[in-house]
Amino acid sequence: MAKVSKVSKGSGDGSVAGGDNIRLAELGQALFVKAAGVGIVALGISAFLGAGEKDGWNRFSHSYLVAFVWVMTIGAGALWWVTIQNIVNSHWSMVIRRVGELIASNALVLAVLALPIVLPLILGNPVMYKWADSTLMQESEELANKVGYLNPKFFAIRFVVYFGFWALLSRFFLNRSLNQDKESEATAAKTVVTMRRVAGPAMIGFAITITFCAIDLIMSLDPKWFSTMFGVYYFASCVLAINSSLALSLMWLQGKGRLTSSVTVHHFHDLGKMVFAFTIFWAYVGFSQFMLLWYANIPEETLWFKERFANSWGTLSWFLLFGHFVIPFFGLLSRWVKRNKKALAFWCIWQLVMIYVDMYWLVMPTLGVDEVPFQLIDLTCWIGVLALFVAGLAYRAKGLDLLAKNDPRLPKSLAFENF
Amino acid sequence: MSDEHKPAVKAGPAPVHGLLAEYDTPSQILHAAKEIRKAGFTKWDTYTPFAVHGIDEAMGIKMTILPWFTLCAGLIGLATAITLQWWTNAYDYKWIISGKPFWSIPANVPIMFELTVLLSAITTLVGMLLLNNLPHPSHPLDQVRRFARVTDDKFFLMIEASDPKFDDVETRQLLESTHALAIEAVLEDRVTEEKLPTGLVYGLIIVAVASVVPFALAAKARYTKSDSPRIHLIQDMDSQPKYKAQRENSFFADNRATRPAIDGTVAVGDARDDDKFYKGKDGAAWARTFPSQIALNEATMDRGRQRFGIYCTPCHGQIGLGDGMVAKRADSLAQGTWIPPTNMTQEYLRQMAVGELFNSISNGVRNMPSYAAQIKTEDRWAIIMYVRALQRSRSGSVNDVPPDARASLK
Repeated sequence: MAKVSKVSKGSGDGSVAGGDNIRLAELGQALFVKAAGVGIVALGISAFLGAGEKDGWNRFSHSYLVAFVWVMTIGAGALWWVTIQNIVNSHWSMVIRRVGELIASNALVLAVLALPIVLPLILGNPVMYKWADSTLMQESEELANKVGYLNPKFFAIRFVVYFGFWALLSRFFLNRSLNQDKESEATAAKTVVTMRRVAGPAMIGFAITITFCAIDLIMSLDPKWFSTMFGVYYFASCVLAINSSLALSLMWLQGKGRLTSSVTVHHFHDLGKMVFAFTIFWAYVGFSQFMLLWYANIPEETLWFKERFANSWGTLSWFLLFGHFVIPFFGLLSRWVKRNKKALAFWCIWQLVMIYVDMYWLVMPTLGVDEVPFQLIDLTCWIGVLALFVAGLAYRAKGLDLLAKNDPRLPKSLAFENF
Repeated sequence: MSDEHKPAVKAGPAPVHGLLAEYDTPSQILHAAKEIRKAGFTKWDTYTPFAVHGIDEAMGIKMTILPWFTLCAGLIGLATAITLQWWTNAYDYKWIISGKPFWSIPANVPIMFELTVLLSAITTLVGMLLLNNLPHPSHPLDQVRRFARVTDDKFFLMIEASDPKFDDVETRQLLESTHALAIEAVLEDRVTEEKLPTGLVYGLIIVAVASVVPFALAAKARYTKSDSPRIHLIQDMDSQPKYKAQRENSFFADNRATRPAIDGTVAVGDARDDDKFYKGKDGAAWARTFPSQIALNEATMDRGRQRFGIYCTPCHGQIGLGDGMVAKRADSLAQGTWIPPTNMTQEYLRQMAVGELFNSISNGVRNMPSYAAQIKTEDRWAIIMYVRALQRSRSGSVNDVPPDARASLK
């Protein structure tokens, strides 16, 4: 194996010592203030619009939930991403690993952002989730049988477990990573081993928590319906979201003069490949879920799809199929697209928007309206939740290095070439 | 292509095919490649034991067209899958599977996906081989001993003599300037025969002929008749030396394996000697009362109503007036062959004995078939009880109404 030195070959001078800016510094503070401002204003407007509906916050809760689970795909996806990079000992991604760790460490912000949904639920208010009130579940035997799992007390415990686990795990990875920046070469190598050892079991924990979190927050909106593939379906969106978000974040950072020569077209190419691959994966999982229920044609299971094929929801379903899979598939197919920052940015933004449409399609039909009710409140919730997430992220990241400069795998990452 | 038709073996040395240079490390060959490219050669190639990063750029190799092959193949696979499934299931032989539409796209997707991937993958592999001029039976480089190290730890570069810029002396000097370990002239292949080895030809012929045999056997089996039974390899317990019920047995005078039952034999519990219950007869006459096994209570009436609703209403109607769906349909068809079902509430049926009604259900009457196979004996009596209730409902008088409710009738 050819030895590669720290000051590496490959595109750009690639060396951190060569003067790449790896701190957000004042930019982080400015971003924090701006994002927090936008978030508060947007959510304020949402609350005002929601109160105006005079429906016990039903509309607001639905809009907010769509925005929240969308942001959660990014946050939870980041945690998954960091874990998998450690499990497979990937070298190419070391140069962007810190950015992933920072996004993942926003788990507590996510937990706080979840409160408008989770608090009413724990307090037994059935505004969105019928099972918050156990008397409503007694209407049929099949619902009554689910009360053992779908009840506010058990949910409260699960909520703490999900976000607590994510917070602890992301904190572990970020702290170890930050420590590694200051360690000696030998200790840095040991830190890699430690992180990899934790990553294995952690992935199992992640799989379980993300599956049940998706089930609790989204699938239980219709307590009669169930799908064993639901966790995987949500997970597919998580992976798609984080790869798109990483690409976009790095492009933004480079636009602001950070990590300009460390992250090269080769890294973007790989992120683009992941976006492409998981576009297909999402379609695969989504279709698997659909086809089996369609083929068995059992009313208990098909009712969920029937709602989503009626009237303009049907149009939205077709829009989702073509917009989330067919068009991006051909769009991201060529090598050139993934190596061209503008083109890649276009498709990453496209897919993030389509993930929102997907979440909308999952959640909104339980509002019980015949036609797709996209309104201003949906937009303001979306902007608000995203802005607050970014604010939390900027606040955390502003004083930290954006590059794991002491990782033994970094030189290979800097010299990474993709064909 | 360098291996055109060779002339007959000439005297004298074989012409030079190209100049081969050997190198020790990837960076050496990268550097050499850059030099050769700069010098403007077009017919040359590098040979390495593993992919050397940057060699494409160094050599100035253009992007291959293979991805386009893959794309086309994938689209052809997709189109084939759609057409195949549409034609076989929705056009040529329409067949309902699981109650789905003839052309049901969700069910077609797995095959569409599979054929897309299959054709793409095979085309990529075969296309890659073809674009590399493979399989290539022989190449002048195979005759060079040192070239065997190309699969081990040495890197090679060869400039072909057919290149317009090739010159015996200058090209060698250029290669020497790249610090090659060794430079060797590669000669045209006069050793390897152009013809395929006869053994291989015979082998291919034999395989081709042999591969026809299974199809020929299949065709023979499909289009000829035979009296002999199939070849039955795994016998298991298939032909047992025992007598089956309907088989011949010459041991007995009537040649039957089964012995006839003795007259009057009846299965245990199947004596059915209660004529009233089983035949509706009281001695020689029809029974006028219900058998004692039937409890004349609400449960029986309810059962009768339910069974009547299942078996009798299609013809006799919901309240026994003879206006069931079947009767209405037959009337509307007006084919002139229909005898309408009986209106059960008529006077003469009200007078008819319950046993005779029972007989009608059990054995059929006129066009009505026997319902003994569908309706158990107890249920038949329950139906008759309900029929009596229907008859009563159409023949009541004001005295049947309870006194306190009579006022509301007026």
